[in-house]
Amino acid sequence: MTARFTRGTGTSLVGGSERRSSRSLLALFLPVAAVGAALALVPLWLSDSRLMMGLAIGGLLFACYAIAFNVVFGSTGQLFLSTGALAGIGAYGAALLGDRLGFPIVVSVVLATLAASLIGGLLSWIAVRRSLDVIFIGIVTLIFALSFENLLLGLGDLTGGESGFSLESGSDTFLREQIPPYYLFLGLVLLFLIVHGLLRRSHIGWAFRALRDDKVAAELTGVNVARYRIYGGLIGSGMLGMAGAIYAFNEGRISPSTFSFGEVDVVVLVMLAFGGIGTLLGPVLGAVVFTVFDEVLVEFGQLRVVAYGALIIVLFLWIPRGVIPTMGSLWQSRRLRRESAGSSPTDPPH
Amino acid sequence: MLEVRDFSAGYQGNDVVHDVSFHVDKGEAVMIIGSNGAGKTTLFRAMCGLLRASSGVVLFKGHDVAGTPAQRVVRLGMGFVPAERHLFPRMTVQEHLSLGAYPKRPDPETMSIVLDLFPRLAERRRQRAGTMSGGEQQMLAVGRALMSRPRLLVLDEPTTGLAPKLAHEAYEALEVLRRQGLTLLVAEQQVPLAMAFCDRGYVLENGVIRFGGTSEELAKNPEVRRAYLGVT
Amino acid sequence: MTAVILDGIVLGLQFGVLAVGLTLVYGLGGVLNLAYGQMAVVAAIAAALGMDAGLPAGAAVGVGLLVGGVFGLLLDTTLLRPVYRLRGEARVLLSLLLTLGLAFVVDGLLTWQLPLEALTLHIGGGAVEILGVPMRRGSLWASGISVAVFVSLFFFFRGTMLGRAVRSIIQDEEGARLVGIDPNRMRTLILVSSGVLAGLVAVTRSMTIPVTVTSGISITIFALIVTVVGGLGSVAGAFLAGLLLGIINSVSSFYIGTFLTLIILLSAAALTILIRPSGLLGTPE
Repeated sequence: MTARFTRGTGTSLVGGSERRSSRSLLALFLPVAAVGAALALVPLWLSDSRLMMGLAIGGLLFACYAIAFNVVFGSTGQLFLSTGALAGIGAYGAALLGDRLGFPIVVSVVLATLAASLIGGLLSWIAVRRSLDVIFIGIVTLIFALSFENLLLGLGDLTGGESGFSLESGSDTFLREQIPPYYLFLGLVLLFLIVHGLLRRSHIGWAFRALRDDKVAAELTGVNVARYRIYGGLIGSGMLGMAGAIYAFNEGRISPSTFSFGEVDVVVLVMLAFGGIGTLLGPVLGAVVFTVFDEVLVEFGQLRVVAYGALIIVLFLWIPRGVIPTMGSLWQSRRLRRESAGSSPTDPPH
Repeated sequence: MLEVRDFSAGYQGNDVVHDVSFHVDKGEAVMIIGSNGAGKTTLFRAMCGLLRASSGVVLFKGHDVAGTPAQRVVRLGMGFVPAERHLFPRMTVQEHLSLGAYPKRPDPETMSIVLDLFPRLAERRRQRAGTMSGGEQQMLAVGRALMSRPRLLVLDEPTTGLAPKLAHEAYEALEVLRRQGLTLLVAEQQVPLAMAFCDRGYVLENGVIRFGGTSEELAKNPEVRRAYLGVT
Repeated sequence: MTAVILDGIVLGLQFGVLAVGLTLVYGLGGVLNLAYGQMAVVAAIAAALGMDAGLPAGAAVGVGLLVGGVFGLLLDTTLLRPVYRLRGEARVLLSLLLTLGLAFVVDGLLTWQLPLEALTLHIGGGAVEILGVPMRRGSLWASGISVAVFVSLFFFFRGTMLGRAVRSIIQDEEGARLVGIDPNRMRTLILVSSGVLAGLVAVTRSMTIPVTVTSGISITIFALIVTVVGGLGSVAGAFLAGLLLGIINSVSSFYIGTFLTLIILLSAAALTILIRPSGLLGTPE
């Protein structure tokens, strides 16, 4: 019975295995708090090294990206291939508002977040209104990402073109240090996790799951597929914009390649595939693992690209639900096999 | 010619059809009747190889073809006209018929037999399937299946969506084929038509064969009369 | 202006042939090959290596096309097997992801091992005047080959049993099976052809501009744009869209500039998806 309950339906590539734990909010907050606590300790080891802290912040940034992508793809099944572009909208938007137009940092971040959110929501809305298939959503968002990158390169006077944009604002704030931004990003990660967690538990979250497994059945049971997809698009894109915007002020320098498809989307795909598409903590796990892994790979130059490509293939071929859920269900089925036929399964069926 | 034994099939591990057994002898016209959702389509699709069978045996001309993919079953002489017809929307009638005998080249004699049988198709040789009416599409689907000169023709609800006049015409055409020696297996919801045409039949309910018999026996069966003939 | 349009036609014809490879593979039921550009590049590099090794141009081209076909064959028999077992959305998704991964693998390997390799085919002889515009022989050869490819494809698909069988799989796979056509064999055929076509385009392209190991991604993008505008699964659509977009590309590059030109082309594809997803000549669902 466990095998059937953890296997996705035939049409769903990304069926997640969600254990139906108790419904209390504690069950949601506890893991998140645990993760938060664990990650909060990291600076204790790494604070001497500027490089390592920078890496750690980068890891948290990608965790934010991965959670956002999880909301859009894992929960509402929209293949947005413009993760990097949406974060870039947040980053460049906030940078332009803050540096060129002199807006206060907080205002810039908020406005940039809204911009990214609205654009992502618009993409979802269009996809929903035109009843676009997954392939078209993927192509349209890919087109959007490519256009955005080209736009950045083309409007060189405004954006600094290929060499990028150096921000002056924020250079005298805590944002440019090492440790406070780490905790800021950690806060973002926890915030995003909570938002996603609440979404999953709410009426909307239930609808998301139904939607992901079988769109037609979900529609038939009255789930408003359209609305939930748009929500997913709005929220996920907002997350991306916010993370990108804050990163811009933290790093002080952004360029088109920071947010390109190869730098962001591919990596986030691998992180999420590894950690478990549709799970709550999967993105964080994936981000942690691959931030470390990526550092190792940087040594290898071009082979790094090869490694990511190979990882995508391996992960989606053999472990499409993510390493942790797969290991989890393997462990569970072994446990059940050890128990004799007389005992009943502890978990209710999916 | 066809013997199905203890045959089960379904989708993703859930069987829709359970341990079905029936047979069709050479030259017969046999019907499988049942209401919507009884499993007729699943049964036929699995039998012909479009769907994986879970268990059981499908003996066609002595060979077990259960689990054999459709493209090979067809070449063994079992033609199948599915309920959704599965025509090629941008191809013409002519192209459909010439593909019917794949991989062999279309036999001109067979082609003219089919076009004589369905004069409306002959009129529309260059018309694309996507632009034809329901009745014409049905004729084309049957015609296409006939091009390979099958020994057994299996039809899944051939009269769905057809006006009564066209449904009668369809069965008239099938009668002509029967007289020429073709063995027929038909799944039908429009029971009276099928009953008038077929020698024997089986009743499929919830994926299981409830009973079988000659058309006369079935017509007299009170349950059948109530459920399928609208007689109270 | 005439020169610009003629250039556009030359480019457009190649766009068209490029798109045919991708659109046919998509027509097999939603298999999107994002490693298509890499197929072309691998074929081109094979030809280049052949020429480096001393083969005459013709033989080297043959080697390239062969390698392209083999790439397609390998793709079909390995990576795409699990994809074929799925249906609908899941099939598209998996094909997209797996070929994306493959694209990165091939791209990375090529840039790592042969970063400087490139294919260039010089067609000797002076310029030829067409409509008062001096055209390079390379361009004319490229166009001629492209036209020849389209004409052959036309006769293949309309006039031969095999061609009709391929069309039938694209239009209704189950219907094709019911007629005795084996989808797996057809798919292999189409994948191999797609590889050969990709190689052919790389070869014709190299007659005007060198094809390098990094060209892969932009080739895929252009192929995707033309395929989407022409209609997924339609060969005639690929031809028409190719010409149209080639001319737009040429005119726009000349008057506006390269960055914005790419955005214009991308927008054309996006607009097509929004207004008429089936493209110019595809069948509406």
